[in-house]
Amino acid sequence: MSALTFTLKYQPKQRLDMSPLVSANLVGKTVAEIAQLTLQCGKVLIPVGEFFDISGDDAQIIVINNSYDKLDFIGKEHDGGSITVNGDVGAYLGMGMKSGTITINGNAGLYAACEMKKGILEINGNTGDFLGGALPGNKMGMKGGVIVVKGNAGERVGDHMRRGLILIEGNAGDYCGSRMTAGTIAIMGNTGRYLGYAMRRGTLLLWNKPQLPPTFNDCGLHTLGFLPLLFASFKSINSKFADTSVAFNRVQRYAGDMSEIGQGEVLVRHT
Amino acid sequence: MLIKLTGGKVYDPASGIAGVVQEVYFQDGRIIDTPKEVPVDKEYDCRGKVIMSGAIDMHTHIGGGKGNIARTMLPEDHRQDPVPRTHITRSGNGHAMPSTYVTGYRYAEMGYTAGFEPAVLPINARQAHMEMADIPILDKGGYVMLGSDDYFLRMLTAKKDQKAINDYVAFTINAAKAIGVKVVNPGGINAFKFNQRKLDLDEQNSHYGVTPRQILQVLATAVKELGISHPLHVHGCNLGVPGNIQTTLDTIQGIGGLPMHLTHIQFHSYGTEGDLKFSSGAAQIAEAVNKNKNITIDVGQILFGQTVTASGDNMRQYANHKFASPNKWVCMDIECDAGCGVVPFKYRDQNFVNALQWAIGLETFLLVDDPWRIFLTTDHPNGAPFTSYPHLIRLLMDRTFRNEMLATIHPQAQLMTTLGSITREYTLDEIAIMTRAGAAKLIGLKERGGLAPGYWADITVYTDNANREAMFEKPDYVFKDGELVVVDGKVVMTKWGTTHIVRPDFDPSVEKDLQSYFDRYLTMKLGNFKISDDEITEDGRGSLTVHPTVGGAV
Repeated sequence: MSALTFTLKYQPKQRLDMSPLVSANLVGKTVAEIAQLTLQCGKVLIPVGEFFDISGDDAQIIVINNSYDKLDFIGKEHDGGSITVNGDVGAYLGMGMKSGTITINGNAGLYAACEMKKGILEINGNTGDFLGGALPGNKMGMKGGVIVVKGNAGERVGDHMRRGLILIEGNAGDYCGSRMTAGTIAIMGNTGRYLGYAMRRGTLLLWNKPQLPPTFNDCGLHTLGFLPLLFASFKSINSKFADTSVAFNRVQRYAGDMSEIGQGEVLVRHT
Repeated sequence: MLIKLTGGKVYDPASGIAGVVQEVYFQDGRIIDTPKEVPVDKEYDCRGKVIMSGAIDMHTHIGGGKGNIARTMLPEDHRQDPVPRTHITRSGNGHAMPSTYVTGYRYAEMGYTAGFEPAVLPINARQAHMEMADIPILDKGGYVMLGSDDYFLRMLTAKKDQKAINDYVAFTINAAKAIGVKVVNPGGINAFKFNQRKLDLDEQNSHYGVTPRQILQVLATAVKELGISHPLHVHGCNLGVPGNIQTTLDTIQGIGGLPMHLTHIQFHSYGTEGDLKFSSGAAQIAEAVNKNKNITIDVGQILFGQTVTASGDNMRQYANHKFASPNKWVCMDIECDAGCGVVPFKYRDQNFVNALQWAIGLETFLLVDDPWRIFLTTDHPNGAPFTSYPHLIRLLMDRTFRNEMLATIHPQAQLMTTLGSITREYTLDEIAIMTRAGAAKLIGLKERGGLAPGYWADITVYTDNANREAMFEKPDYVFKDGELVVVDGKVVMTKWGTTHIVRPDFDPSVEKDLQSYFDRYLTMKLGNFKISDDEITEDGRGSLTVHPTVGGAV
């Protein structure tokens, strides 16, 4: 059995909805049958075979080559198996994913891991705004799982997040952790303005001192026993976060957003 | 083109025809007499089918700002029902508050050819008309909302005479291009802004000293004296409050015999009996309606499922906001003219209150004797989206089905309703009255809602089916102004309907005082407030149809 591989033949001008190309939908289908499935491209439906050279037979391991930033909805509702993408991806990567892994060797667009439920999403480049967020108007963002971003993330990381873990090795944009209900976001790089805007509960774990809004209260220096446990849990993750040398247990703690219920916390590494 | 419908069973209550097999001919958009020797251009075989005129929804929230608030607030509802474009129809979204185009298509696909927006705020009337201008196929019209506007309440406080009020009402109807007048929680929307959280029929507005009873009497008199066919359209006080049955009965008595339409009366028919202090007042309401011939009602039936309630009644919507599901809501003032409240709601059959509301609506339908004075509505989208009408029709026409449904609702609600013992089943003729002839008569539509020669050829052809839900949700053919728009429940052609209005006379000197009021208090100039005919017709697809006032010229 070899990985089911989709190699993009050309870059369509319109955006391409990749949501049908997930393991659950492809298991038991031959290459010829898969080529007959249709994808929404702009306003028309076009067979998969028009866009991709398809090879391999193991639908549990999907590889997408030559990807570029107009391929939207990769791994939508992905449930088991792995998807590896070589190249950039568009918006809504791994939206509502339920289990399994997705690895992107490139950059991701807006709304990556939108309303994700479980599984592991690894982005080896940068990602756009609303990482792990909720669809506009919805009140629940990411509900579980792990997101690792090796590069930088855009604005509104973890908007309306409820549970799960977001690890960012680079920087995060403005409004990081906005409207969070719960969950953990760890950022090794810098953060932007309005950190934790309207945050209710949850944890923001930072390596560098942020610009905090005035609605966060300084709770002083703490040595927290749970931090070594948290770092130990990162061991199996393919990331700098797994390196014991980055770990710490002494933090400055801030609580907020006091304009909300104020049970969120921002923990900043003490140097 | 001369078209013939052959062999169908015709239900045309406007002409007193109930289930007679006869031919229907129409040409150039109008129904005609049996022609002599002219070759028929197109013949449709309607044997075994039922022919009615196009249905008319006399109370449906299809235009105006609250719809857009509901759409914006509930993207999750919209997302679940995407409607792709076809080469005939445009794309959009459906469910509780469909987009304008989808509204038109889905109404037409159920055999409806007209819908009337019951809450056109004068100051937002332009937007309402523009939105309705984007609803294809359907004819439309609106009732202009008065009774909580500052100018009108000032007039009452200043004890202006009825003539002055009439002029103001007529001016507003003309300016807003309406076909009737509606009052929502009379004076209550305004009282809410003065921190009153309830307003009974005889309770004074704390600022103006005006009572809802006064407002209803003055407006109902104005509507009658101006000769407007559609009686004052009343959304009464205390909507949804247990015990509001007394308010509703008092309202019926208090109007003193003037014509009055009580809308979504289901929400106004609650008693306080039983362990849970919530009971059905449908029997008393039906008795009062049967006795008072000046009263017409529509039901505002609720049906179980997710919907959104959108109302001008910000006082009651504010009170209900804690039941919002999903938990988000909007209440706002609209330029001192009125208010607006949008609260998403999920009616559950296992919730005692919701289950009893469902039963109260059906009791009302079945206990009111005269189908000419009761109308089939769900107060779309407040009780349920309009797409549930076929289901509702089946509940009314099929006792067995109704009782099966009754057996599934909250057990305590089953004990509190007499629904199971009501044997009445609506006939096709009665359905045709409620949804066609009666509605056209109530609104004062000339040459609509019937199949007599001279009428516009708005025609729906159904396959007779014992399952009335299946029958009414998928008409074989729908003709709008003589053109075939729907085949087998799918739109095959789109066109544009007309906007129905009335133009009551008024003394133009009323504008002198209004001019200074607008300049001083409002965000808009009087000249811009008035909607001109061109605004509706100049794009080439809208048109105006002026209906006569009683005793007045067109």
